[in-house]
Amino acid sequence: MATVETAPVGFVRQDGKEKVTGTGRYTADLSFTGMAHAKFRYADHSHAKILRIDTSKAKALPGVVAVLTQHDLPDVRYGGFVQDRYLFANDVVRFEGEIVAGVAALTEEIAAEAAQLIEVEYEPLPVVSDFVAAMEPGASLVHPDLGAYGKDENIVAAGNTMAYHTIVKGEADAAMAGADVVVRSHYVSDASQGVPIEPRAVVAHWQGDKVTVWSSTQVPYVARAGVAQTLQIPEANVRVVVPLLGGGFGAKCDLHFEGQVAAIARAANRPVRLVLSREEEFKIIAQRREGIDMEFETGVTRDGHLVARRAKLVLDKGAYCGEGGFLGQMAAMHACGPYQIDHISVEAYLNYTNNQPSGSVRAPTAPQVCWGLEQHMDEVAAAIGMDPVDLRRRTLIEEGAEGPTRQVFDKVGVRDTLEQAIEMIGYARELPDDEAIGVAVGWWPCMPAPSGAYIQMNGDGSATIVTGAQENGSGAVMAMPIFVGQELGVDPNDVSVVYQDTDVAPWDMGSCGSQTTFNSGRAILAAAKEVREQLLDAAAEQLEVDREDLELRDGAARVKGSPDRSMAIADLVGEIGTVHGKGSGEVPEAPTGDTGGCVGRLGNETFLAPQLITQAAHVKVDRATGVVRVLKVAAAHDSGRILNRAGADGQVLGGVVMGVGLALSEGTILDEEGRQRNPHLLDYKLLTCSDAPEIEVAWIEYDSVGPRGAKGVGEPPQVPTAGAIANAISKVIGRHVQRLPMTPERVWAAAREVPG
Amino acid sequence: MTRSFTSAATFDDALSAMAHGARPVAGGTDLVVGARQGKAPLPDAIVAIDRIGGLRAIEASEDGVRLGTLVTHADIISSEHIRTGYTALADASAIVGSHATRAQGTIGGNVMNASPAMDTGGPLLCFGATATLRSPSGERSVALDELWTGPGTTSARPDELLLALDVPTPAAGSGSCYVRLEYRRQMEIAVVGATAVVTVEGGRVTDARVAITALTPTIRRVPESEAALAGSDGDDAAVEAAAAAAAGASTPISDVRGSADYRRAMAAVMTRRAIIAALKRARGGSVPIPASPALYGAS
Amino acid sequence: MKVAAALRVNGTEYPVELDPHVSLLDAVRDELGLTGSKEGCDDSECGACMMLLDGEPVNSCSYLALQAEGREVTTVEGLSGDDEVGPLQRAFLQQAGVQCGFCTPGMLVSATALLRQSPDPTEEEIRLALSGNLCRCTGYRGIVRAVRQVASGEVPPLRTAPAHADEMPPHHAG
Repeated sequence: MATVETAPVGFVRQDGKEKVTGTGRYTADLSFTGMAHAKFRYADHSHAKILRIDTSKAKALPGVVAVLTQHDLPDVRYGGFVQDRYLFANDVVRFEGEIVAGVAALTEEIAAEAAQLIEVEYEPLPVVSDFVAAMEPGASLVHPDLGAYGKDENIVAAGNTMAYHTIVKGEADAAMAGADVVVRSHYVSDASQGVPIEPRAVVAHWQGDKVTVWSSTQVPYVARAGVAQTLQIPEANVRVVVPLLGGGFGAKCDLHFEGQVAAIARAANRPVRLVLSREEEFKIIAQRREGIDMEFETGVTRDGHLVARRAKLVLDKGAYCGEGGFLGQMAAMHACGPYQIDHISVEAYLNYTNNQPSGSVRAPTAPQVCWGLEQHMDEVAAAIGMDPVDLRRRTLIEEGAEGPTRQVFDKVGVRDTLEQAIEMIGYARELPDDEAIGVAVGWWPCMPAPSGAYIQMNGDGSATIVTGAQENGSGAVMAMPIFVGQELGVDPNDVSVVYQDTDVAPWDMGSCGSQTTFNSGRAILAAAKEVREQLLDAAAEQLEVDREDLELRDGAARVKGSPDRSMAIADLVGEIGTVHGKGSGEVPEAPTGDTGGCVGRLGNETFLAPQLITQAAHVKVDRATGVVRVLKVAAAHDSGRILNRAGADGQVLGGVVMGVGLALSEGTILDEEGRQRNPHLLDYKLLTCSDAPEIEVAWIEYDSVGPRGAKGVGEPPQVPTAGAIANAISKVIGRHVQRLPMTPERVWAAAREVPG
Repeated sequence: MTRSFTSAATFDDALSAMAHGARPVAGGTDLVVGARQGKAPLPDAIVAIDRIGGLRAIEASEDGVRLGTLVTHADIISSEHIRTGYTALADASAIVGSHATRAQGTIGGNVMNASPAMDTGGPLLCFGATATLRSPSGERSVALDELWTGPGTTSARPDELLLALDVPTPAAGSGSCYVRLEYRRQMEIAVVGATAVVTVEGGRVTDARVAITALTPTIRRVPESEAALAGSDGDDAAVEAAAAAAAGASTPISDVRGSADYRRAMAAVMTRRAIIAALKRARGGSVPIPASPALYGAS
Repeated sequence: MKVAAALRVNGTEYPVELDPHVSLLDAVRDELGLTGSKEGCDDSECGACMMLLDGEPVNSCSYLALQAEGREVTTVEGLSGDDEVGPLQRAFLQQAGVQCGFCTPGMLVSATALLRQSPDPTEEEIRLALSGNLCRCTGYRGIVRAVRQVASGEVPPLRTAPAHADEMPPHHAG
């Protein structure tokens, strides 16, 4: 059932050669004649009213070609679920990275100087940085006009709570009262960051009324819509092109500076380039992992039946909604987890603060909530004297089981992942007393979305895919030639991809939600099938055989069993004249459930084709210092059928290492005013090559609803890593660490609290 | 002021440029990084000293070893003489930054940067190194505890340039070690560091030097720790007393890298580990270089 | 005031005029147009800008360009040697050591420095030597394996396309 690891196949990703030779161009590598350089002026306060902006000195500085504020732009607010933000601060600044004005100049140095010459007069307002205290009566409001903003009809907002959600199943209060044992836990996760190694860059160039924006975005079509909306121009007049993208991890989702740079370029009447420094990349993007305060309460029978779950989650939204309006609801689902629980009552509050806005970062909310919940589950197991793996064996979902909102699951391999992971890690073996193994289980939904693709056959028998899909580096788009090659009997090295250019391909959601293979792949395969049909029809006619007797193989249509009777695809294309296909495929529908009792339904109240993961971590803890080394992680995943083993493995290897960082060292530290104290890589610590643990990967494969039976792959690897490490640490030190990241100091402090 | 850059061919060229206000740069690892982080802008006038001949030598004599100001961390790590005779210094240079930092970063730049977190500082201090500063008016030797006057400040005059560090030969029977608290295995800056240099004769510790790093405004020795060890046979009680004294001598700050309480507690842990490893080395036992990751049992 | 200088990069000498504060990275990217070396941070922490200076690795973002005059600078663009794509670069692709590719130039440069110093490094030596280069995508394993592959023998040519569909990855559905 579990597949074994194989070496990468002899196929070279299309963008590979340019990436290893240094000739590939990322956005910051682009340059145009006459190009000016953009710099932003940021807020001088975390929360303040703008009384006056004087740009005259900046405009007078030689070399400055444009200075822009919101007063120069249409009066339009944007935001995914709540429209709460202007491109430039209009009247109030709400976090330290808020953009007050933009400047373009002939050099970066002049632009930076000009940005500082802009005079801004403020009236400071009370700062709300504590996202739990933000809900208290009398707390200063981040958005006093929230009620008047445009918003999604299912958003339930009040005070500083931008979105309130519940998941309700049965009668949790009554059931809790009747449980044998009730366990309560409190966990708090700090904010953290996606940290793609490429900082964001945007270049904009106008030709008449039409603007081309080159951007390091994961979501070019979202960026296009955002530019069109904020500048009030038709989407048809906005072309977004993504050069090579240097990683995203969610941090490059949503509209990010494309609108501002396009506006500045229009004012400057020349191409303009913005390149963020690492510090800006930390502070000003509206995509970081949110801090979460989590309270869990579980009622359980002595034999390990989960009777009831109550949970209260409070999430730090930061200053603006962006695309992150759904975070509370997603977190609520993760507070249930892939478990069978009779009665559930979960509340989630997504609160505005004067902190950096939070948004999607690789499996948004899931790693933090899973880290809390899976420690809570180990506490539940301890409370009834059961091995934590045994408790999970009794309570994980299976085919036919009901989810938190009574969706009924198809075949899912979560129990297989549990058994596989503990086998790979050697769960029961004896270890030195400073080492231990912890286990955590998590889940993540597939995101159904439309996509469209074209495939054209070229005269020499090669093929070209045209797709709106975005290649963030994972290889999901770069693997498409393999699938098309398989459909058409063409060497995948002879299949090229035109991608991430909004003017040439149909709309695509972008590289977010682990959806590229799931949705873009479905569209591309549908297009390939159209081409396949055309080739087979023509071959049947040319070779005068029944279509059913033909196969496409080795660049030819040939009669099965008689390789001599064949016709080259190149010749077939010549005969037909033009061969091209288009496709989108049928978008799978989210499962129905009983969601009537749930508040704030934004679409995540059921999970389509959940991806399921068990990871087991073997750690070594230096009790005297609290320093934790992760020696090995065993990762067993149900992502449906795996279409590209090397690519899928790569997602797990990278995701687990990112997860170890989240567990141990990656946390954004804020001061009382919501300002970041460690916005650089020396004190926001990513794992280095020498810190990365041994990782063993296994896939549990059952057919699912995606193309060729696939689900998604990219986000789940990070979901349970921190939880598994946490449970291992607690076994060594005798106490759970209640704050994420579990830094040496926090582990050391927790160890000292153990009595005796 | 307009920016200028000169590359000095000789020490005197460098001194002459400095007399006209230029700031020296060798590997550039501290100066340029500091400017990029916004700590201090790059000086308008820069004199590069990396081409000056004869400053990148490790010269051993009976009295000790002389490290030219341009000796890199990589040079120190690969010097067998340093590894055997001044092991704590090799421990320290081996864990500075990354391989690129070790290839480009110089001991002179390191010492003159006067960071209280510099890894090589504790070992140099314990070995009794002196800095030779040269200016147009002559040369003088300064002990390191007189050179470092505060975080990032030295007693060197603006016209003085570090020529070399002279490190006396440790007594026979000495062993030394530098360890630091490391959150990651590489790319770290000392949050807490400790150095121990011990001399063992006939089973007894006849001399001990202990220094703490990143725990006081300048790296300093801890006489109370040294006194606790001297005359003992390196037993647990003596080591514990020395470790506790190091914690007691610490006046750490609280910042994003750790609280004062944690740092103080780690001062004891690091000091204990440094002493134990130094004793082991003094007695002929083997502790890998760098000692730091090995002491955590990292593979 | 700009200073006239000559930078020797990948075996070619380039006359340039540089501000004394310009970093080697900016000079090579902006003045010479060699954009393979990347800027990923402010403080020598990410390694994306790694170059060789007389064979030794340097964080070029934190090194003054004028200091490089008279030295041999090597960037990722100079690593292929006589091959179109050199063995180390091929190994990175074949071992899945490349995803987004932004760390790749610096990784390749650091790995080149290591292999010159230590032609047959252990995995531990590789991991330590590459620790100044952060990668967020791969989890580092493919990168380490690529360096091992180069150290331990032949790296096949880049294009080793499957001869026919049977050698392609499994294809489950019809």
